[in-house]
Amino acid sequence: MSNAATAGPSLGRAIADRGTTYLLWTVLGLGSLLMAAPFIWMFTATLSPMSQAFTLPPRWLPGSDITIESYLRAVRDYPQLVRYFWNSVYISTLVTVGYVAVTTMAGYAFARLEFPFKRLLFGMLLVSLMVPIQTMIVPLYIIMRGIGLLGTSGSIILPGMIGAFAPGLSGVFGVFLMRQFFLTVPKDLIEAGKVDGAGPIRIFWTIAAPLAKPQMAALAIIVFTMTWNDYFLPLVFMLTGDDQVLPLAVVGISGGRGGEVPAAVILAAVSISILPILIAFVAMQRLIVESFMRAGVK
Amino acid sequence: MAQRQSFTNKWFSPQARQETVAGFLLIAPVLCGFLFFVAAPMLSTFWLSFHYYDLLSAPKWAGLDNFLWMLDDDRLHAVLRNTLFFAVFAVLGNTVLAVILAAILNQKMPKSLQAVFRAAFFFPALVGLVFVAVIWQFFYHKDLGIINYYLSTLGIEKVAWLSNANTVLYSVIILDIWKNVGFGMLIALAGLQGISAEYYEAAKIDNAGKIRQFFDITLPLLSPTILFLLVMNSIGAFRVFDSIVVLTKGGPGDASRSLVMYIQEVGFRDLEMGYASAISLLLLALVGIVTIINFVASKYWTFYE
Repeated sequence: MSNAATAGPSLGRAIADRGTTYLLWTVLGLGSLLMAAPFIWMFTATLSPMSQAFTLPPRWLPGSDITIESYLRAVRDYPQLVRYFWNSVYISTLVTVGYVAVTTMAGYAFARLEFPFKRLLFGMLLVSLMVPIQTMIVPLYIIMRGIGLLGTSGSIILPGMIGAFAPGLSGVFGVFLMRQFFLTVPKDLIEAGKVDGAGPIRIFWTIAAPLAKPQMAALAIIVFTMTWNDYFLPLVFMLTGDDQVLPLAVVGISGGRGGEVPAAVILAAVSISILPILIAFVAMQRLIVESFMRAGVK
Repeated sequence: MAQRQSFTNKWFSPQARQETVAGFLLIAPVLCGFLFFVAAPMLSTFWLSFHYYDLLSAPKWAGLDNFLWMLDDDRLHAVLRNTLFFAVFAVLGNTVLAVILAAILNQKMPKSLQAVFRAAFFFPALVGLVFVAVIWQFFYHKDLGIINYYLSTLGIEKVAWLSNANTVLYSVIILDIWKNVGFGMLIALAGLQGISAEYYEAAKIDNAGKIRQFFDITLPLLSPTILFLLVMNSIGAFRVFDSIVVLTKGGPGDASRSLVMYIQEVGFRDLEMGYASAISLLLLALVGIVTIINFVASKYWTFYE
């Protein structure tokens, strides 16, 4: 705030600015409530007795009749939900581990090693950053069918683990992010390894990779979230199989049987899908926010 | 000759050879993934767009038929119009609101308050679009929906959010902005934190108000970030799919069907893989054109410090 002791016009300005500040905080506060409203309503609905889940006027906070009835009913009516939950966990985990590992390796090579065709290869990869996966979906479907992965979780895991693409992210995104990081690592640190006679792979493994842990964590958070949430790739690749993931299950339940599924059951399925992300966000908000900031700034 | 010498030295000294081997080992997985799952399908999309292919019989040469059909296909024109309409408003809404929110949030305020606001606006961006779209269905429902309930208590007539061809795209846009604005805000916030405080100090000496500071300092210095947001939001908007599938399944009629939904329908329901590939190229062209326009425009209006 500017100094109130200054004369004339700036005193007026200071008062006006303070007024604006409080006004803006109020606007932000109301906006925050609007942003949170759908989640608050959903949790309230799933924690209310099933008959009260979708009533008007809407309930915004659970009352003394709080119950987990709708969750029990959802798991009873759709026992496969539990299996799909674990499918989502293990697919997202495998994709994340593989994607982060191979893009870190490639990012390091492109940043710090010299080899023939390096620029050409990197430029080639960069082109695919501009190509949405949706434009290649038809041939990808044919490829998945050809190698027998259609209808299995392998159709998501394989391309993710070798860094071709994770749902919603091209593989280059990770390569680019990690390369940018390794470019900031001082050369001296790496040269020190060379003096000790260590080969390039050893230097990567013992010196460079450990330094990159925070950046790898940031990338992992992004990849895991995107994979957990993605609907498009599982819809095209996995719908025909027995193994499904939460986004497919939730859409299936919510659109199921001509509106006969109780609102509380649908919302319980949504809630089960959102809770892990919410818990992670509450537990490590700063880390998650900073991860996405890093990714955006490049 | 000397040049040749240095060339061979560059790549063939024992140390350089070791580095070459290591380099290719480290990029091998990503390179295989790229060749098999990106380059091959990219080229196949081009190839398929000149063929008829239904998965069951061998592909047949189609010449330009798929592209000529694109010119006559009224449904394609409808989904293209929907997608462009959605993209314009979603991109503008997302970008403008993100910058405004970030500018407000960047003002002096207690750290805890800032953290709460930031979390509230960002959280929807973390959650899957299909999950939140299912929740929003209950908000948009015409007779039992929460939004119409509050509108009717204010004496406003019920809005057919999802069942009226004239309003349905606005409903999809509102959901999109609610979902994505927080991510843009975060990126804009990162951009703002890169602006030196000196500029604002100078503005204070000039006795410039906050609104003027925003237009005279914040916007010009933030223009590279704004450009990035425009490109990112445009590429995202052209791919709109999940929210519409959940909210309307493309209806009423084709009123909210998007380009990607149409690709999916033509390719995987009608099994017209060739035509679906041709439409995919249209999507690719759209993304390419917008990216190029944005970068050309940036030469004229972005301000690099």
